[in-house]
Amino acid sequence: MASLFQRRRSKATQTERVRERRHEGFLRYANFRWAKISGGLCLLIIVSYALIDVTPRHNGGSWYGYTLGTIGAGLILWLTALGYRKRKMTSDYWSLKAWTSAHVYLGLSLIIIGTWHTGFQLGWNVHTLAWALMILVILSGLYGVIVYATLPAALSNNRDEMTQMQMLEAIRAFDRQLHAAAQPLTPEDTAPVLAALDEDPFAGGIGARLSGRYPRCATAAALRTLGMSRSSDAEAREKVIGLLSQKEAALARLRKHLRIRALLEIWLYVHVPLTFALIAALSAHIISVFFYW
Amino acid sequence: MSFILRRISTTKTGKQIIRDQALPGDAITLGREGSNVIHIADLAVNPHHATITSADGRHVRVQASEGLGFDINGRTVDAADVDSAAGAELRFGGHRLTIAREGDNIILLVERIDELSQSSKDVDEAKAFSLAGVMPGKRVGAWTFGILMLLAFLVGPIWAWYSYKNVDERPEGYHADTAWLSGPLSSAHANLKNDCQSCHVEPFVAVTDKACVGCHTGEHKAMSTAHANAPAAMLLAARHPPGIGEKVLAGFAKTFNRPQGRCVDCHTEHEGAGPMPATPQKFCADCHDGMSARLLDAGFKSTVADAADFGTSHPEFRPLVRAAPGAKPVRTTLTKGVVDYNGLKFPHDIHLQATGGVARMAASFRGRYDFGNKLECENCHRVESDGVRVKPVEMERDCAMCHSLAFETVGGVTRTLRHGEPDQVVADLTAYYRSTPPSRPLQLGGMERRRPGAYAEGQVYNIYFREVAVRPNRAEDAVRAVFSKGGACYDCHTIFAPQAGKSWRVMAVDQTPRFLQKGWFDHDAHKETDCADCHTAAPGSKQATDFLVPGVRQCRDCHVGESGARVVKVKTATESPCAMCHEYHSDGGKPWMPARQRKVNAAAITNKPLGAIYGVSMVTGSQGRGLYDVTWRTPALHGARRGG
Repeated sequence: MASLFQRRRSKATQTERVRERRHEGFLRYANFRWAKISGGLCLLIIVSYALIDVTPRHNGGSWYGYTLGTIGAGLILWLTALGYRKRKMTSDYWSLKAWTSAHVYLGLSLIIIGTWHTGFQLGWNVHTLAWALMILVILSGLYGVIVYATLPAALSNNRDEMTQMQMLEAIRAFDRQLHAAAQPLTPEDTAPVLAALDEDPFAGGIGARLSGRYPRCATAAALRTLGMSRSSDAEAREKVIGLLSQKEAALARLRKHLRIRALLEIWLYVHVPLTFALIAALSAHIISVFFYW
Repeated sequence: MSFILRRISTTKTGKQIIRDQALPGDAITLGREGSNVIHIADLAVNPHHATITSADGRHVRVQASEGLGFDINGRTVDAADVDSAAGAELRFGGHRLTIAREGDNIILLVERIDELSQSSKDVDEAKAFSLAGVMPGKRVGAWTFGILMLLAFLVGPIWAWYSYKNVDERPEGYHADTAWLSGPLSSAHANLKNDCQSCHVEPFVAVTDKACVGCHTGEHKAMSTAHANAPAAMLLAARHPPGIGEKVLAGFAKTFNRPQGRCVDCHTEHEGAGPMPATPQKFCADCHDGMSARLLDAGFKSTVADAADFGTSHPEFRPLVRAAPGAKPVRTTLTKGVVDYNGLKFPHDIHLQATGGVARMAASFRGRYDFGNKLECENCHRVESDGVRVKPVEMERDCAMCHSLAFETVGGVTRTLRHGEPDQVVADLTAYYRSTPPSRPLQLGGMERRRPGAYAEGQVYNIYFREVAVRPNRAEDAVRAVFSKGGACYDCHTIFAPQAGKSWRVMAVDQTPRFLQKGWFDHDAHKETDCADCHTAAPGSKQATDFLVPGVRQCRDCHVGESGARVVKVKTATESPCAMCHEYHSDGGKPWMPARQRKVNAAAITNKPLGAIYGVSMVTGSQGRGLYDVTWRTPALHGARRGG
């Protein structure tokens, strides 16, 4: 008996080891367990929808429609609960990875559940609004899954083993050196350097963050201006130009870092608020059905 | 008096170290360049920015050079006079110059107050590097969107409902609860689309029948009549046993207070604009398949037999027949030997024979009537103008072509006995015999002298004058003859001889206009078929009591179930859902079907001439026939009447 347990335990540790070696993420969790469950559910719905004869035709108000609607609404609430679950540390039962895996795959299956619940009757009303919000939430989530799978590598490559604060610290160092090196310059040459120093590396709105383009970058402008200037001492100017281009490179790295992080985060700014909009619209949808019963 | 430059530096532990340094000279220069007395390493400060002087050792004058000024009390100036006792704060680039007085000395305190560069400022790493710095918070977004949704799609619609709660009809315009419209209304209800409350009267109460019959005043009654005045409980009991799905739905309905058996159970709405869909067979079969057993279980008695599919499971017709002369018509199952007494005597076989007296007579009338070489069904049976049913046979129109009632010709005008009024017949014949002498024998004519003896018994005079004397009495014989065997009336009618106080009577004729009361048979739809194809017994029928309406078997020669189910071999099958013949509400009209499924009135190409009802389309009857000439026109343009 004891040996049986031992074997089981060793098997479990072995599985755990394999998982860790292959870095089994939430997508591959338990050999795609939730992908299979969710796929099976979708298949079941599609097949039964075709087989079940609902009079006069499929819609949300048939018994089949009610069933799918109830499943869908419950699923939406459970999927929303991930936001709560991820803030609670647990050691037993469901790991967060399992939970996330189920969240992703069951969330995708909601496309089928929700759409088949409509019976493909869409219109300009609160019912379709709830459906559309649900689809937007799912699509934003899908985007999130894709960027989580692809962007972290780029993020890591860009960092070059630096931390975020180290990147900022590099810029600060260049700023200090620039400040010192620019002292001998004429006032007309110091102005662009001063502007470059005055530039907030985190400036720029959401557009700049996502695109990574900063057309009015003061550092780049200072480089251009000093390159053409002839007023100050040439040696001092060359030193400043050298420092400016170094700062520009450090700034570019930081901005790329910010861009990748923005791409990694932006979907949550759609996913989360729209989820609550969806829950509100869903409540209106359900209440409206019973109100005008 | 001297200027003292004070520097304050802060140690890492936060302790401040103050160093004072006396400045030489009366004019203190301030700038970025190292040659200045006060050297400020600040790019925002000019190489030679300003000169600080004091004439009296108390008032200090600060004069900017090289164009760039400085800030004092928030304003940018080029020169300033400062009372050192009062003190002042001046700002050069990122540095602050504080002027104060201690004893005789003027203290100049220079501190960097701005960061060296923007990047040097402290940042909140979590916020600065993420989108939190540039996007409104997710929580804010969630609340905003959520509340907007609830306001627009929950509070708004409920408010719309509340504000028109006791209003009969809503005004035009936008009402927030139209956002709840789950689908377009059917075309019949399209005008209600802004007025949800016309049906959804009370919140959380499922649409009641009351809301329907508020406008549809007659239908509810008609529906009940069609279904044996069945109460809702009986209708519910008739339904087929629920499957899993229906059990689920019933569970929903029970949990959420949605009673069953309401109009809207079948008349579902919000299913898309357009006309009502055709009623599928399942709609009927859901109840009528195996219904009687279920009704019995529920304590009701079924008045109709079970039916599920016309091709395989349909009871025999139950036409309305009179089982005995003068009896009340009763719906009776159509079996061999069912008789219907309509009061007439009419052997179909003699009239439909290809040879024989009737055929010869008909042939002799060719050209005057629409007769052929023999009589056809349509020579006597006329179809109603809507093409659906057959008109009752009328003597004057349908029989009198051959069965003339003429008895005298006066000046080229034929006098006939009045049909349908036996007393008038008696009176006319009596008057005829009273007013006309017997025909005069030839021997009595001319100017020839009459010889005696001609009056003797058995001689011409005697015979003639005796005839003249008794002629009025002959009327009685003629009347008797007309009403007796061999007479004009007796051939077709059942006659009752005179009895105490009553004259000759003819048995009433009751021609049933519609034998199949529950189904709907459209002769127009079958005009390409010969009558005898369905009325197979007609050519051999010897008695008028023979019931000639075909049974379900004849129909099944062509008609199969909705999905093609059949029990006999069918050459050209016509899929026939229940609604082809049956009308749910039984309001007397044709069973409704969507316009695109209605039969197109296209002429069929057949080899034989259309020998059926519509073979004739002309004004018939000759001009010289007199009183009995019947002028009737067969409606030839059915298509136009039905709108093409």
